[in-house]
This record gives sequence, structure tokens and C-alpha cells, in this order.
Amino acid sequence: MSIIEFRKTSKHFGDLKVLDGVDLSIDTGEVVVLIGPSGSGKSTLLRCINGLEQITSGDLVMDGISVRGGKKQLRLIRQEAGMVFQQFNLFPQMTALQNVAFGPRKVRGLTRTEAEAQARALLEKVGLKDKAGHYPSELSGGQQQRVAIARALAVRPKVMLFDEPTSALDPELKQEVLNVMRQLAQEGMTMVVVTHEMAFAKQVGTRLIFMEHGKISVDGHPREVIENPPSDRLKDFLQHVE
Amino acid sequence: MQTDWSVVLTFLPQLLAGAKITVQITIIGLLGGIFLGTIAGLMRAYGGRILNAIAFTYIELIRGTPIVVQVMFLYFAMPVLTGLRVDPMAAAVVAIVVNAGAYIAEIVRGAFLSISKGLSEAGLALGLPQWKVLVYILGPLAFRRLIPPLGNQFIVSLKDTSLFIVIGVGELTRTGQEIMASNFRAVEIWTAVAVIYLILTGSMTVALRVIEKRMRIL
Ligand SMILES: Nc1ncnc2c1ncn2[C@@H]1O[C@H](COP(=O)(O)OP(=O)(O)OP(=O)(O)O)[C@@H](O)[C@H]1O
Ligand SMILES: [Mg+2]
Repeated sequence: MSIIEFRKTSKHFGDLKVLDGVDLSIDTGEVVVLIGPSGSGKSTLLRCINGLEQITSGDLVMDGISVRGGKKQLRLIRQEAGMVFQQFNLFPQMTALQNVAFGPRKVRGLTRTEAEAQARALLEKVGLKDKAGHYPSELSGGQQQRVAIARALAVRPKVMLFDEPTSALDPELKQEVLNVMRQLAQEGMTMVVVTHEMAFAKQVGTRLIFMEHGKISVDGHPREVIENPPSDRLKDFLQHVE
Repeated sequence: MQTDWSVVLTFLPQLLAGAKITVQITIIGLLGGIFLGTIAGLMRAYGGRILNAIAFTYIELIRGTPIVVQVMFLYFAMPVLTGLRVDPMAAAVVAIVVNAGAYIAEIVRGAFLSISKGLSEAGLALGLPQWKVLVYILGPLAFRRLIPPLGNQFIVSLKDTSLFIVIGVGELTRTGQEIMASNFRAVEIWTAVAVIYLILTGSMTVALRVIEKRMRIL
């Protein structure tokens, strides 16, 4: 059953066409890995799903709700689609625990006790039980990103969107974040991941999409597409990221 | 020339009464200025085109004219225009509200806009409405960054009250001048006036340092 559906979706920034009539349907449980050259529109595609960017034409439906529906609909979509950013974007004035408890309290209306109990469980899940009282500035990049994942999960989304979650991390810290993501995928979470971690794409991805100039140019099974690139440009691209 | 510091003691009650009025104008004026400035600053930072233009016009009008002219306008020109009598104390307070408000608006705008866009996107992405992002995420962060420049503005506004001598408000400077006119003890009286101002601005500075220390700027 499809949970995210792009229907001839376009997005312009002024004269620049960043998404060009994208048709894409993502089913529940899929782990879609999105790759492509810089500026091809990967982040924009992701950010249109939860309305951080407004689409210019066409339609985009997330869990039966159109992003064109208005502010209230957009808030509902955002509660169903958690987002993890390249730069973590943790709230610096809050501890790890408060960061994770924040969404459920302010969005789902949980009491502080309920939200914090749930936050503790999530921090444990991402391996940071003992860091609950730490501020973001006291955590490593990998730890911050894991808190950010827990924060997004805390609102109980149906879909998780990741925009280059490991790009800002040192190589030795990437794995701890990728492990958490792998575990999420195994639990059946629907995920859309912009990343250039090809090993992750092959191992965890159920689908690989290569974007060029705001269009989907290749859409297939990760292992098949990576081992047998159907286009020269994808072949070139893969050589570059290896 | 002979100085006689005992005159300071003689006139101290009068000087302190003047200082009290100075403090009253400053506190009421700044409370109003913070209110007005926060609204205008948020209009500048997040308002649509019309709200932004209104706030911009207000800020530039005030920042582009001297406060003495502003209070003269309030005290002498407003009654002519509106037919209402304005008492000097009210004119003084309103002048501080309107004047400090314009500067505070720019401080508020700068503090909010200095916070990375990513944090507000992170809040929105959780499904929060824009106002909750402002109140719970950006507000507390901006507040910490506001304190140093706000403290500066408080001191400027306190000293600006001395300019209200032109409309005859009995604040500290005016009081000093009145005492002077009766006894010509310039050195003693103006020294005393200066010291009282220093005590007032000094206590503000100390209070702000304490608040700043207690809050980590993030
Ligand atoms: N807010 C914006 N205003 C104007 N142009 C923008 C804006 N955001 C993105 N763009 C442009 O849209 C194009 C696509 O950007 P996008 O961030 O989606 O690319 P990307 O595939 O994620 O690239 P990267 O790999 O560098 O992250 C780029 O040319 C970018 O400069
Ligand atoms: Mg990007």
C-alpha cells in the first residue's frame, strides 16, 4: 500500500526547476535510498514530503493527506513523517532527554512524566541511556545524531526521512548512526534516506533512486542497480562515491 | 575656589526625589518599550509584507530623529493636533516607550534571526505550529542573546531621561539645575548628580552581569 505519492510534482525556486514533474509512489515498509549529484534535488524532494518546501505544481500525498491541504494538514503530515537533518539541529538549551520528550509533550499532548519515560526508552534504544542528562554541546556528533533520531521517533511517525544523516560525521562515528538506522529498517519502519553510503544502500535499502536535474533517472533494486548500472551517468556517479 | 560638600547633604533629599522620578520614567518606559519593541521586532522578523513595512517605518522614523525632538513633539505639538493636554510626566514616559521600543525592536529582530534556520525547521518537522516554535524553541534562545544589547539600551534610556529637562519634568538633571540656580554650587551639585547617575547605571550593569552569568549563551 502506498504511503507517499508524488503526482507530477514540480518545485521551482524562482526560475530554477528543482523538481521536474516527479511521479513516485513509496509503499509502507520500503527503505528508499536516494542518491544523485549535488543540486539534483534530493533534499528538496525530501523536504517537499513534510512541507518544509512548498510544491509549485502537481500534488504530493502523504498517508492520504495532501501537502496542499493547508496548515493543519501539514502539521498532521509532519507528525507522521519524522525528519533527521545533516546538521542534527538539536535544541541546544535542552538536555538529550528534554530534546526527545519535547515533541510528544508539545505535539501529542503527553504529560512530562509520560513523555520522559518514553524518551528514556528511546534513548536506550539508540544506545544513549547514560547520556540523558547531557546537553547537545556535551555530546559527540554521532551521539547528537542518535538523539536526533530518537527525537523524531518520539512523535511516533509512520515514515522517517533522513537527509545525509552521516555526512557531517567522522568516518568512525558514521557506523553508530547507520547501525541505529539499520535496526529501524529491520523493525519495518518506512524510510527515505538521502545518503552516499553505498554499503548501507546495498545492505538495508529495498529500493534505490538516482536523481538527475530534478528527475528520477534510475529506480530499481539497490544491489542490481549498483552492480549493473543501467546508465553511464549512474556508473560514473557510483565510481565517484566509492 | 572654595568647595563646600555640605551643600550636597542639605540638598540630598531633593536630589533623591529627582532620582526617584528618573527611575520611575525609566522603569515604566522600558517595560512599555520592551513590549512594543518585541512586537515590532517580531513583525520585522516574521511578519508579512504589510506588518513588516509598518514596523520598518516606525523604527526608521524614531531612529532617524533625536529623542529631544520626539518628546517636544509629544508635549507641544500633540496637544495642538489633538486638542488633548499632555502632562510632562506622561510625555516623558511615552517618549521612552516609543524611543526604546524602536531600538529594542532591532535588537529583538537580530536575536531571533541569528538563530540557525535549522532549529526552527527541526521544530516544524516535529509537527509544531509556528507559534510554538517561536515560544518554546526560538524564544528561550533569543532571550539569552538579547540580554547584553538590551542592557546597553537600558542604560542609554536611563540617561536619555535627562533630556526631558526641556519639558520641565522634575527628574534628576532638572532638580540639579534648579538647586544650582538658587545657590550656584556648580561643582558640588553636578558632581553629586553625576555620582547618582553612576550608581543607577552601575547597579543596572551589575544586575545584568549576574543574569548573564546565570544563563549560558547558546
Ligand atoms: N531555498 C532555496 N532557494 C533557492 N534555491 C534553492 C533553495 N534550496 C535549494 N535550492 C537550489 O535547488 C537545487 C537543488 O537543491 P537540493 O538541496 O535539493 O539538492 P541536493 O540534491 O540535495 O544537493 P546536495 O547533494 O548538495 O545536498 C540547487 O541548485 C540549490 O541551489
Ligand atoms: Mg541535499
